[in-house]
Amino acid sequence: MEPALRLSGVTKTFGQTIAVQQMDLEVPRGALYGVIGPNGAGKTTCIRMIMSILFPDQGELSVLGHRSALDAKDRIGYLPEERGVYRKMRVGAFLTYVGRLKGLSAGESAARGQHLLERVKLPDTIDRRCEDLSKGMLQRVQIAAAIIHQPDLLILDEPFTGLDPVSVRLLRELILEEHHRGTTILFSTHAMAHAEELCQHVVMIHRGRKVLDEPTAALRRRFDSRTIRFEPLDPSSSLDLVRALPTVESVRGSDNGYDITLVPGADPVAAMHAVTGLIPVARIELARLRLDDIFIGLVSDADATREQLRASLQALSVEGATA
Amino acid sequence: MTKIWLVARREFIAAVFNRGFVIGLLMMPALLALFAVLGPRIFMPRPVHVTGDIAVIDPTGRILPALRTSLAAETLAAHRERDGRRLLAGAPPMARNMPGARPMLDAMLGADAVIRVVDPPAGPQPAIENGKVWLRADSPSARHLALIVIGDHAIAPGDQAESDYELFVPSALDMRVLDVIHDGVREAIVTVRAAEHGVDRERIEALMRVRRPSAVTVAKDVERSAGGFNIVLPLVMAGLMVVGVMVGGQTLLTSTIEEKSSRVIEVLLSAISPFELMAGKILGQLAVSLLVLVVYCGLGVALLVSFAMLGLLDPLLVLYMFVFFFITYVFFGAVFATAGAAVNDMKEAQTLMGPVMLLLMGPWIVAFPIMREPESTMAVVLSFVPPVNAFVMMLRLASTNPPPAWQALLSIAIGVASSVLAIWFASKVFRIGLLMHGKPPNLATLWRWARAA
Repeated sequence: MEPALRLSGVTKTFGQTIAVQQMDLEVPRGALYGVIGPNGAGKTTCIRMIMSILFPDQGELSVLGHRSALDAKDRIGYLPEERGVYRKMRVGAFLTYVGRLKGLSAGESAARGQHLLERVKLPDTIDRRCEDLSKGMLQRVQIAAAIIHQPDLLILDEPFTGLDPVSVRLLRELILEEHHRGTTILFSTHAMAHAEELCQHVVMIHRGRKVLDEPTAALRRRFDSRTIRFEPLDPSSSLDLVRALPTVESVRGSDNGYDITLVPGADPVAAMHAVTGLIPVARIELARLRLDDIFIGLVSDADATREQLRASLQALSVEGATA
Repeated sequence: MTKIWLVARREFIAAVFNRGFVIGLLMMPALLALFAVLGPRIFMPRPVHVTGDIAVIDPTGRILPALRTSLAAETLAAHRERDGRRLLAGAPPMARNMPGARPMLDAMLGADAVIRVVDPPAGPQPAIENGKVWLRADSPSARHLALIVIGDHAIAPGDQAESDYELFVPSALDMRVLDVIHDGVREAIVTVRAAEHGVDRERIEALMRVRRPSAVTVAKDVERSAGGFNIVLPLVMAGLMVVGVMVGGQTLLTSTIEEKSSRVIEVLLSAISPFELMAGKILGQLAVSLLVLVVYCGLGVALLVSFAMLGLLDPLLVLYMFVFFFITYVFFGAVFATAGAAVNDMKEAQTLMGPVMLLLMGPWIVAFPIMREPESTMAVVLSFVPPVNAFVMMLRLASTNPPPAWQALLSIAIGVASSVLAIWFASKVFRIGLLMHGKPPNLATLWRWARAA
């Protein structure tokens, strides 16, 4: 079956800047893909090329079996990173207008608009002008506009940015609903936590190049953690016995206890048993997979220093989590 | 095509269904009506009625009696009556019968003066100095209007450069009263000169009187009056075109900038192509401009009907106006759309709009030479140079000497070609410019975008 999306050797430059370089990507129909990477990595340029808003200098694209998204625009839902509305337009009229541009009839568009406003918990805003809504409310309207025509392919560019926690949860539910309906979903984010939570498949982009393209499950296996986090019951306990364990490579202090790095190939479960047998612990856990750690690992050879990159990504993760 | 129609419809509704547009649309006719009603009252001088004396020093002794006749109340009244009849004869029938015509006519005929010619005042100083003292005694209750000193050579003028008479007036004298006095003195001097040479002045004047008719332009298949309304017609038609283009173009510019700055543009581009968006916007604003044009034309036709002057308007000219308006609008609409897509806000748009406004308003600089000589080389050449060709050709078509039909058709063809080219260029720049933010581009950058897109 023809994939929903295919990019082959796609390159885009702006003057001297290479925004996207030799990008290959294939998104199967019905999949839920996350494109992650820091700001300026080339995610939005990639998405704009997929949407035929920008055109690649080299390479080929296929969108829902067409050589250009222009031929399938009515089957694609899109929430751009830079979102906007007609400020003077009424919310219902705006949704109807977008629905009609996406090929719906006037009646159908109005009915779906009303239904979606109820779904995003804004049923009373239908006759209000867009300029009278708060930023968060407007974002929910824009999300409704992106899915009003029940697209086959839904592309969301940084959809969680600027949303309050309630709206984040609502958007997650909507994404999953669309996914269960069979829609192929591709969303970009610099908040790795969202990708970890939602995606079946993760694509990482750094400086216009794809540095990772794997299912989330496979990632978890491949980058299986060798770190155990623990907190002794008595903070003054000596860790010499733990350090002496043959499966332990190193022990270092962290914010709320210690991180134990195991030697390659060590069984983490056995190591955890061994640690609890040596000293009483208040808490012990296997460190969870973190996409930002994987990302840092993958791009550590790049000219940015590891510390700079970590600081940058942690800041973004915090921003994404609070959003 | 459906999507273009949807965009056009939204543009039209957004532009027309708001208070600002309605006020703007009605503002111009309202101002014109206001001007028509209040203008004459504001600008038309009030009739001047004055009664006063003039003193005359006449060394010839022959001018003074003639002056008493020429400035006599009945003579002045007869002159006013004669001039009034002439003015009315030249006015349109509607204007003759309109209310308030008589006071306006009185004002136009100059001062209604009752003048008494008196002997020069006596005094210890030389006569002229005595006269000046007398003039300084002018007061509202006893008007001393002028001191006239007739020259020695007034009756038999030679090659001398001096005036035939000197005139001294008080500080507060209406210019129209001055005109009455000058005319009276002239009349008196000419009468005396004619008598001196034994000439029958009335007969000569009758012989010299040739009534000038309105010229009638005889073209290949039409004849029409060459004056009055037809002098204004080219300017009105070209003006309507400019107003139509400006209304639609400006709205197109601001709506594009608004869509770009509010970031709604990317939502639109995910549903339609940049060309569809631009075409829809241009068509929508074209409808807005056409509405403005139709309203103004309708008001103009209503005015002509009420003045019984509709017959002076050639329907073919109106058709030409709409054709040239369409061509010009598409050209400038594409330019306005390009500018809107290329900049971030109205302030930046001003930089790009400078040359555009020059193109739009430039033809007005040469409008009068073209109207005077519609067949001049400049007029003919500019008729084929886009984008000013539409204005120039419109001026020529509405002039008293319209060009042959092939020239009009060639100008239309050139206009259509240039509009297509403008749309092509605009669609390229529009596509790139819409998503560009930051430093506004210069013309070289715009050209690079057009080549890159």
